[in-house]
Amino acid sequence: MTVASQVKQTLATLKGARGTLNMYTAQTRDDETQSVYTNSLEIADTIINDLEDRLKTLEFEEPQYKGN
Amino acid sequence: MHEPLAVIIRSLSLFVLVWLSTRLIGKRTISRVKPFNFMGYIVLAIVATLLSLNLVNLISGFIVLLTWLVLPIALDYLSIKSQVIHELINGKETVLIKHGKIMEENLIQLRMTGEDLLAELRSKNIFNLTDVEFAVMETNGELNAYLKSDKKPVTAHDLSQKVAPQAEPQTVIMDGNILNEPLFSLGLNQEWLNVELEKLGVALENVFLAQVDSSGDLFLDLFDDAVEIPQPKVKELLYASIQKVQADLSSYSLQTDNKNAKGMYLRDSQKLENLLDKLRPYLLN
Repeated sequence: MTVASQVKQTLATLKGARGTLNMYTAQTRDDETQSVYTNSLEIADTIINDLEDRLKTLEFEEPQYKGN
Repeated sequence: MHEPLAVIIRSLSLFVLVWLSTRLIGKRTISRVKPFNFMGYIVLAIVATLLSLNLVNLISGFIVLLTWLVLPIALDYLSIKSQVIHELINGKETVLIKHGKIMEENLIQLRMTGEDLLAELRSKNIFNLTDVEFAVMETNGELNAYLKSDKKPVTAHDLSQKVAPQAEPQTVIMDGNILNEPLFSLGLNQEWLNVELEKLGVALENVFLAQVDSSGDLFLDLFDDAVEIPQPKVKELLYASIQKVQADLSSYSLQTDNKNAKGMYLRDSQKLENLLDKLRPYLLN
């Protein structure tokens, strides 16, 4: 497995976790819990951005593996 | 003339009257009632019996009933307003154990023996006298004990552990029927419930009880206990997947030679580690 596809997998896991977290943010009735979840969503978003940027660089470096 | 008929009518009307008056007097159950209120209940019951058997004059009977109904309520109101009257009517609670030492003179005052005190403590699941710091006999005859600080049950606060606030769960299905009121109070509707049931592959008729907890997860109990349904583990899975991402990021930071990327991976993995610490009480409990 190339580095790019590994990073892609991690990105997918993180996006999945972000989705679940989003669901719980909507579901929970407690304000404190909700603010913790919202905060976590923001952190997840910044990391998703970082990983996407990194992925672009990687795909530029190893164009033959693009799309994996 | 129609003696049996008269008895029936009297009994029925008195039944309603006594029922209403007990409702008026209050919610406290007999076992926790103060001696004085207990007297009131007995007088009401006896007078009602005498009246329905026509053993006393109807008017004087009603006067007695009314007196014993109004007076306790009036005294209750007065005792709310004034501390002095409250103590006069109900008496004062008696301290039986102070700083871990039994107050013998107070025990005698209540006409209790040491064995009585031990029995009361045992009913509170306290078998060792040395565990008790403070104990008090309430005016309704109940003994309450405060344990020494090292004998008290451990709380999350003692362990300096953060726990997520949890509201009470709401029961949304009982005996295969959807309960609308609790469902609406959660901001959910029957459609949501049907979708959730479909996801689990369970028919509504087969559900005995269903509760929704404060984080919105659904717990089911089925009539057919042979059917195993998955209990929600979504939060545990979520925690595990964030853990996996964190581990991935820190391993990438070791693998890459690019300095910028190394820094980015390290920073992000640190962020996720902090996040995991913060989410732990909410996702794993």
